[in-house]
Amino acid sequence: MDFFIQLFTNPIGFYNQHELLIAQIGINAILAISIFVTFYSGQLTLANAGFMAIGAYTTVIMSLYLPTPLPLDMLIGAVLAALIGFLVGLPVLRLRGVFLAIATIGFVEALRLGVILNVPITGEGQGLKNPSADPLGGIVPILASLPVLAYLVWRLTQSRLGQAWSAIREDELAASSNGINVPVYKMIAFVIGALIAGYAGALETHINFFVDPTEYGIGRTIQILTFAVVGGTTNVLGPIVGAVFLTALPEIVRGFAAYRDVVNGIILILVIIFRPQGIVGRGGLAFIRPRWWTRWRAPERPASAH
Amino acid sequence: MHAVDDVSLEIEEGAIIGLIGPNGAGKTTLVNLVTGYLRSQAGSIRLVSSGGTIELARRPPHAIAGFGIARTFQTLRLYRNLTAMENVMIGMHPRRRDDTLQRLIPLAPLLRDEDKRLEEASNLLQRVGLDPDRDGDRRASTLSYGDQRRLEVARALALHPKLLILDEPAAGMNPAEKDRVRALIQQLNAGGLTVLLIDHDMRLVMGVCQRIAVLNFGRKIAEGSPATVSDDPAVITAYLGSQAQKSAAHVPGSEEMDIVGEKAPLATTEPAMPLLEVKDLAVAYGAIQAVRGVSFGVAKGEIVALIGANGAGKSTILNTLSGLLRPRAGVARFAELDLTTAPPDRIVRQGLVQVPEGREILARLTIRENLELGAWARRDVRAAHREIEGLMEQFPILGQRRDLPAGQLSGGEQQILAIARGLLARPRLLLLDEPSLGLAPQMVDTVFEVIQRIHNEGVTILLVEQNALRALEIADRAYVVETGRILLSGTGSALRRNPEVQKAYLGG
Repeated sequence: MDFFIQLFTNPIGFYNQHELLIAQIGINAILAISIFVTFYSGQLTLANAGFMAIGAYTTVIMSLYLPTPLPLDMLIGAVLAALIGFLVGLPVLRLRGVFLAIATIGFVEALRLGVILNVPITGEGQGLKNPSADPLGGIVPILASLPVLAYLVWRLTQSRLGQAWSAIREDELAASSNGINVPVYKMIAFVIGALIAGYAGALETHINFFVDPTEYGIGRTIQILTFAVVGGTTNVLGPIVGAVFLTALPEIVRGFAAYRDVVNGIILILVIIFRPQGIVGRGGLAFIRPRWWTRWRAPERPASAH
Repeated sequence: MHAVDDVSLEIEEGAIIGLIGPNGAGKTTLVNLVTGYLRSQAGSIRLVSSGGTIELARRPPHAIAGFGIARTFQTLRLYRNLTAMENVMIGMHPRRRDDTLQRLIPLAPLLRDEDKRLEEASNLLQRVGLDPDRDGDRRASTLSYGDQRRLEVARALALHPKLLILDEPAAGMNPAEKDRVRALIQQLNAGGLTVLLIDHDMRLVMGVCQRIAVLNFGRKIAEGSPATVSDDPAVITAYLGSQAQKSAAHVPGSEEMDIVGEKAPLATTEPAMPLLEVKDLAVAYGAIQAVRGVSFGVAKGEIVALIGANGAGKSTILNTLSGLLRPRAGVARFAELDLTTAPPDRIVRQGLVQVPEGREILARLTIRENLELGAWARRDVRAAHREIEGLMEQFPILGQRRDLPAGQLSGGEQQILAIARGLLARPRLLLLDEPSLGLAPQMVDTVFEVIQRIHNEGVTILLVEQNALRALEIADRAYVVETGRILLSGTGSALRRNPEVQKAYLGG
């Protein structure tokens, strides 16, 4: 309760006290946007943690060895994630549903166990110290990026591209009969998702002093998936709400902080049972709408014979 | 296995060509080859236009759509969770200017573009007979079966195709609706569209096509004008069947003209001791009232039919009786069981069994496994197994292929499997939802023979059917359902002679 009281009575104090939490919420929300893009095109991909790792390591390694400015490092980190996303997508996107999920999890683990832990430049199991870490200054680009990315992705879903994604999500076969080049549009979604995840990884290194390979495993991927499931994936607000809610929750109910994963699991189960479309269902935050809303929106018309 | 073998077919620009043949003849396979969903081992498919000749074989489906070949699907493939308008607007995809980058900054000209598309989509809905105001914002999955078929045609038209391939556009429609499909096809053709039509309804195909090709076992067995094809003995044995020839030749009212004149009285006698009793039943989907106060009864040993247009609420009534939907108001009793509250599994165990619309067989399980699932709720395992053996003897179509996946059966065979599966639950009352849906005329005969046979064995039947003529032939009594209400009721023969019924449902 203190959490909310402070949020409304003393927002500046709240911000100062919870800066790290706010930064983490921002990062998670951006990651949620990245998984939303692939979900929106009907693909259950779980490679986000891998792309995050690529963005994070690239940024840190560049600031360790090259004199380039930090924003450029981060940009290259994100672009490299997208590039690798494209290469991974070539074989993997032929798969569907749960097979695609397993293949992408395979990519995450292969990257972490096979590459990161074995290549000296990544510090192997030790991780890397980040020379340009700036925990306080790092929040600004995170909080600035979040609304911009959310807006851009929302606009994308309104475009011809987004319409094609919807069609593919609903029925691939029908989509191709409508002249939609299904493999290309799936790839675009996968690469955009990789780009955003890589960017989130790069942003995250900025607020940490250390890049730790254990951060980028299956656990992280599943966490990102949970944001999307709890929040809902019918529009871009859903995963963001899911990310904010699930990240802030351990802070709100301090007593349960130790049981964080248990609480998350219970919430996930409750959402899947009682609200499969997520907190933000079709047409906005449906659960805060009064009962008469639907009737008012869709007045009953006399059905006529046809 | 050769699904389509050495078939040649030419479609001239501006023509309406029909493609007919029994279930499993390879008609849909041919469509899938032309539209790029399947690749042929040999042969070529060419699109000839003023710009030159394009080889279509080995091109992906989206490219073929881009050349102006649009299709509908036999098994509906709408974007179920999107609205009707959205479905049609996606159909415009190849023509829509790529605005992805401009969309990132909303500009007025783009919005004008969107308005234009919305207007066109609503015109297309209207053109196929949907009401954009009423249906435009409804999710595709909530539309009635016939409306979903219409919506698929609208979506295909949104491509502005040169060639439109319609795969059973009139399946599940009654004659009046089929006439509207015919009028639509003719109107589109008059506007310059070339049409390839696949359907089992001979009145529609014969009435609208200039030339008809007949497939059987993947080969073309006949081609020619409607008259030559319908007189071809090979076509009659393979496809039309004797019964269908009769009903194709049947001009409604001809043999019954004398009776129509005196306006036969409608018997409205309700059974005194009904097995099934329905009173003032009302069912709604959210804000949409699908059934508005329906009362009827079925006595032991009867065949009762519900007929009426698509979207009239017939399937909703059946699904409510099976406990799959809950009514908003009203009474539904089956013997002593209250159907409005009893769970579906209990309703089945009490002997009220539904054979669902579209058959819903489990395509990957074998025929025997499908039948075994039908006996799932039974405790007397041995007797059930004896019955399964008995059914497989009774229906050799099933017995001969007991260990094949059920998905390999043709539509009519699947329907018989679905009915046999229903019988294994030991029904006292069998609900049949559109048993003749999508079946070739000869197969319709077989299915109706099966229905009559199981009725003779003592099963009471409640039948929902678009093929009103056939339904009324076998029904003791029937009810005409219109917009969620019962409009008329009477004996099967009385309704068959009723001029209103003839006009609306028998294709008068």
